Amino acid sequence: MIIQAKDLVKKFDNTLALDNVSCEVAAGEVVVIMGTSGSGKSTLLRCLNGLEKMDSGEIIIDSIKLDHHKKSIHKVREEIGMVFQQFNLFPHLSVLKNITLAQTVVRGRNISEAEKVAHDLLAKVGLLDKKEAYPAQLSGGQQQRVAIARALAMNPKIMLFDEPTSALDPEMIGEVLEVMKKLAKEGMTMVVVTHEIGFAREVADRIIFMDQGKIIEQGPAKKILTQPENPRTKEFLSRVL
Amino acid sequence: MSLEQIVNWIYLQLKILFNILIFLGPAIPMTLKITILAFILASILGIFVGLARISHKRIFSFLSKVYVDVLRGVPLLVLIFFIYFGMGKVLNLDRFVAGILAVGICYSAYMAEIIRAGIQAIHKGQYEAALSLGMTRGQTMKHVILPQSLRIVIPPMANEFIASLKDSSLVSIIGLRELTRAGREYYSTYFVDFHTWLLVGLIYLVMTLSLSRLVSWLEKKFKVHGYGI
Repeated sequence: MIIQAKDLVKKFDNTLALDNVSCEVAAGEVVVIMGTSGSGKSTLLRCLNGLEKMDSGEIIIDSIKLDHHKKSIHKVREEIGMVFQQFNLFPHLSVLKNITLAQTVVRGRNISEAEKVAHDLLAKVGLLDKKEAYPAQLSGGQQQRVAIARALAMNPKIMLFDEPTSALDPEMIGEVLEVMKKLAKEGMTMVVVTHEIGFAREVADRIIFMDQGKIIEQGPAKKILTQPENPRTKEFLSRVL
Repeated sequence: MSLEQIVNWIYLQLKILFNILIFLGPAIPMTLKITILAFILASILGIFVGLARISHKRIFSFLSKVYVDVLRGVPLLVLIFFIYFGMGKVLNLDRFVAGILAVGICYSAYMAEIIRAGIQAIHKGQYEAALSLGMTRGQTMKHVILPQSLRIVIPPMANEFIASLKDSSLVSIIGLRELTRAGREYYSTYFVDFHTWLLVGLIYLVMTLSLSRLVSWLEKKFKVHGYGI
């Protein structure tokens, strides 16, 4: 298991965002996390790379235990790429620089090496012609594809996606999902928080369903989407399907 | 009044103004020197205090908050007296050093707040993106946050520079011969008050307006793509 999370608890003020959540993800597996807003799915994702500090519990990523010591957190983050709802590209840097910055600073690659990686990834997400552009000159879908390329440039073993298409206009959702599907087919371990049922049905090996900080149901995508057992899952799916 | 009288009157006025200008001229470099050195001191102190304000270490954020609150709450004139007369005796500071210290320390408090605001104005998603790529806090600051903050802090920092140019007139009180002091000397020798203070005011105005133009130019130069400003 490349991700092992055990008994995670996270409180925000008085609300329990994660209520004793445990889950495991195998290498190469694509897991989709669903649930209503406030169910704790983003919090779970953000705990996995230490952006959110859990109150108790244990996370082991690729046999590195995530405690909040600086060293282990950086080690873990080097293995995990993350894509955000709001893209979070660096607005003062060109597309190319967005992708080369962490490679040179964190991985210690030289510029030409980093640019070669960036070129290959931009070609993969279909944006090689935009390499000199600045984020503000790109559409939302293009920005998100650059953000995916930026994360991939670090050669992560795991990719986390936090509602990657929620901030996009409908006509741009497809181009981002295409890139994600390609990635899944190549065997990337992916944990995706999304409401895109089509994506889940086509790509996910497993769906985790969360409600009020707890995992209330999980299983193979087909089974969850066609024969959900928990009444809350049923209710949710009847609304989004 | 005949035309000749009017011409004569204007000639006389210009002559007076010219004489005053000749007298004031040599004091202008001192005003600029005080302002620039005080501003450099204020910026350096301001960066440290501003960073301390947002530090996770309680002791740093507490001390820097006290520093800012105290200095913002004390009149600059009092600070000048305190540093020159109060501490100057003990530390043997000359008036030039004391003047720069007073203006610089006073403005460092404002500068710290500007720098803090400039850093905090950057969206939290920028930190998260950088950290998720494995960057340390220091690397995130250096490569992601500060370059974006720079563009934000230039206009308010320029305001402070212009304000400190005007406030440098206060150090005339401890006998530093800058522009305002020279104006007082001229006035007390020749008793020409209207022309003297008109000209002193005009010289400050010319300096501050030139600075504003310089700032606009700097803003364009440091334009951050994507902010559309």
